[in-house]
Amino acid sequence: MFNTEIIVKSLPMLLQASVWTVIYSLTSVAIGFCIGTLMCAAGLSASRLGRAVSAFYVSFFRGVPLLVQLLISYYCLPLIGVNVPSSVAAVGTLALCTGAYIAEILRGGFLGIPPGLIEAARMVGLSRAQILTRIEVPLAVRFTLPSLVNETTMMVKASSLISVVGVLELTRLAQNIATSTFQPLEIYLTAGAIYFVINGAITLAGEFAESRFRMEKAR
Amino acid sequence: MTFNPAILTDNWREIFDGMVLTILIWIAGTAIGLVIGLAVAVIQLFTNRWVAAPLTLYVAVMRGTPFLIQLFVIYYGGPFFGLDLTPLVAGVAGLALYGGAYFSEIFRAGFLSVPPGQIEAARMMGIGRLDIVRHVQLPQMLVIILPALANMTVLLSKETAVLSVITVNELTSVVQSIGSTTFAFAETLLFLALVYWAFLEIVTAAARRLEKRVGRFMLRTQG
Amino acid sequence: MAERPIIDVRGVWKRFGDVEVLKGIDLAIAKSEVTCIIGPSGSGKSTLLRCIAFLEEYSEGEIYIEGELLGFSLENGKRRRVSDAEVARVRRNVGFVFQQFNLWPHMTALENVAAPLKLARGIAREDAEKRARRMLEKVGLSHRAEAYPSQLSGGQQQRVGIARALAMEPHIMLFDEPTSALDPELVGEVLQVMRDLAGEGMTMAVVTHEMGFAAQVADTVVFIDHGVIAASGSPQQVFRHEENPRLRQFLQNYFERNVFWQGSDAAPAS
Repeated sequence: MFNTEIIVKSLPMLLQASVWTVIYSLTSVAIGFCIGTLMCAAGLSASRLGRAVSAFYVSFFRGVPLLVQLLISYYCLPLIGVNVPSSVAAVGTLALCTGAYIAEILRGGFLGIPPGLIEAARMVGLSRAQILTRIEVPLAVRFTLPSLVNETTMMVKASSLISVVGVLELTRLAQNIATSTFQPLEIYLTAGAIYFVINGAITLAGEFAESRFRMEKAR
Repeated sequence: MTFNPAILTDNWREIFDGMVLTILIWIAGTAIGLVIGLAVAVIQLFTNRWVAAPLTLYVAVMRGTPFLIQLFVIYYGGPFFGLDLTPLVAGVAGLALYGGAYFSEIFRAGFLSVPPGQIEAARMMGIGRLDIVRHVQLPQMLVIILPALANMTVLLSKETAVLSVITVNELTSVVQSIGSTTFAFAETLLFLALVYWAFLEIVTAAARRLEKRVGRFMLRTQG
Repeated sequence: MAERPIIDVRGVWKRFGDVEVLKGIDLAIAKSEVTCIIGPSGSGKSTLLRCIAFLEEYSEGEIYIEGELLGFSLENGKRRRVSDAEVARVRRNVGFVFQQFNLWPHMTALENVAAPLKLARGIAREDAEKRARRMLEKVGLSHRAEAYPSQLSGGQQQRVGIARALAMEPHIMLFDEPTSALDPELVGEVLQVMRDLAGEGMTMAVVTHEMGFAAQVADTVVFIDHGVIAASGSPQQVFRHEENPRLRQFLQNYFERNVFWQGSDAAPAS
């Protein structure tokens, strides 16, 4: 029968572990956003080298399963003499992976800005830097906010994979409890529910942020 | 460190089998997922909300939780319901259920993208509800949602790697175990990355070509 | 012409790849003159206006704004593209009104007008907003200053667009089909603002399909067809007495489409 007692008993531990899940995934999204911005800028730049680097980066990190990327960073970094804690390597890998997706999201945002809005800015004498910071970036962020929020929830989910390379977070702890108590269904359902709540909260926060822009879109 | 590609050639048979299994899992998961997705979308849109509510919950849960956790629930939690699934069956089922949720959202958006005026026109001429779906809505929306469907299909091919965690003998699992028995991590894992990368590039390019051809076809038929 | 023209277009060609859109345009616009540019779609009239604003680089010829060559420098007969900053300097007195308004959606009406003053002219926030409010009042929209573009009707958006251009205190205003994206009942309010501007002595070049406006307000009407100026003169000359068959056909089509309110007697004798 369904064992609710084990859920009540392990919930505090699972919630504690979920804090690490949130920290790891939000940190990687923050770093990934910086990488993504740089790669997006390189991809839209006039420099042929910049465009090539950006294309290669985006293609590789979107083309290889995250699990394989994590395995590579876990097993191969020590081979080339990089000895960092597995959590650092894992977060770095998550950041590189999400950076590729964020670069693509931002690219779409910039390309989606109607050219007339830029022309209007040129006609009233705004400089190139002013057009970028006052017109293009604010519009690109507004256009892409839902996608960026969605990417954040994807990373919360993807962070469960770092359990495979031995980093303690929600999934890893759930695994430990499940194997020691022989109650996998209860434990994994609870873990799933916690992920669901985290992502629900992120989605709500995103909708709140969007509602701040909503009056611009009213009617 | 030494780099010894012979480890790969020595075990080519196993690696090949892993590749074949990965592709079969991907195709089966995608096909079943598409059926689930279309069924869920149709039921959600064309029945009352009491029927639709559990499906909406299903979609939200599959989209809001990690695929790995879903696999654990199906594989390790299955016996609780008397479902003693092999890793392979559990993995394909998980992939299909996961993909189905995303596919259903794509189909739903597609149905809503067909202008209501066309459906009114069809209804005025006495065409039945399911015939409207089949002959008016599906043909139009498929062109619109094809890029999203292709994108999701490509994403699912990467998710197959996660099945290695529940001991399905697909490519990642095979190559990883070769790596850990021979300690040739660099050779095996980089090879693994390259195979997936090449595979994804090919599938993506094929999807682009398909989209273009369908787009051209539609332009022609619509004059 | 006694005075030097404010805008002087000399032998301008514009090519997009192999397609020749403008084929040797000569056009001079004097101070306080209102020039309406008419012609069939695809004739090159909007391209000409965009070249005068240097939103398009013209391929050949010269355009002078108040005596200064726009967009290029001539060094012993060779054309060289000048910097963006130099382009901005030469066209600082040129205002442009777009067919699609092109208001920035993340700024209120007031911010749309005030932001360029602050950013491009370095005017202090308070003064910029004061001037922006005055401009909105001028186009009859002071009560909508805090609204975002999406909350405004098309006619109101276009009036904000005009206010934004006027705030920079231009010497010449270019209008690229300013009423073509509007519902018919909203055209009047925009044309009224333009009429007032012309009355104040603003130099204007207007690409338009509004023949009534051209007939009443323009000093000069220019008919462009296949990239050349096929006819030009006073409205009287162009609308009544022009013999160019392409122009007659163009006007005939226009009048037939609008015969309900134009009255059949307004059509040129055929």
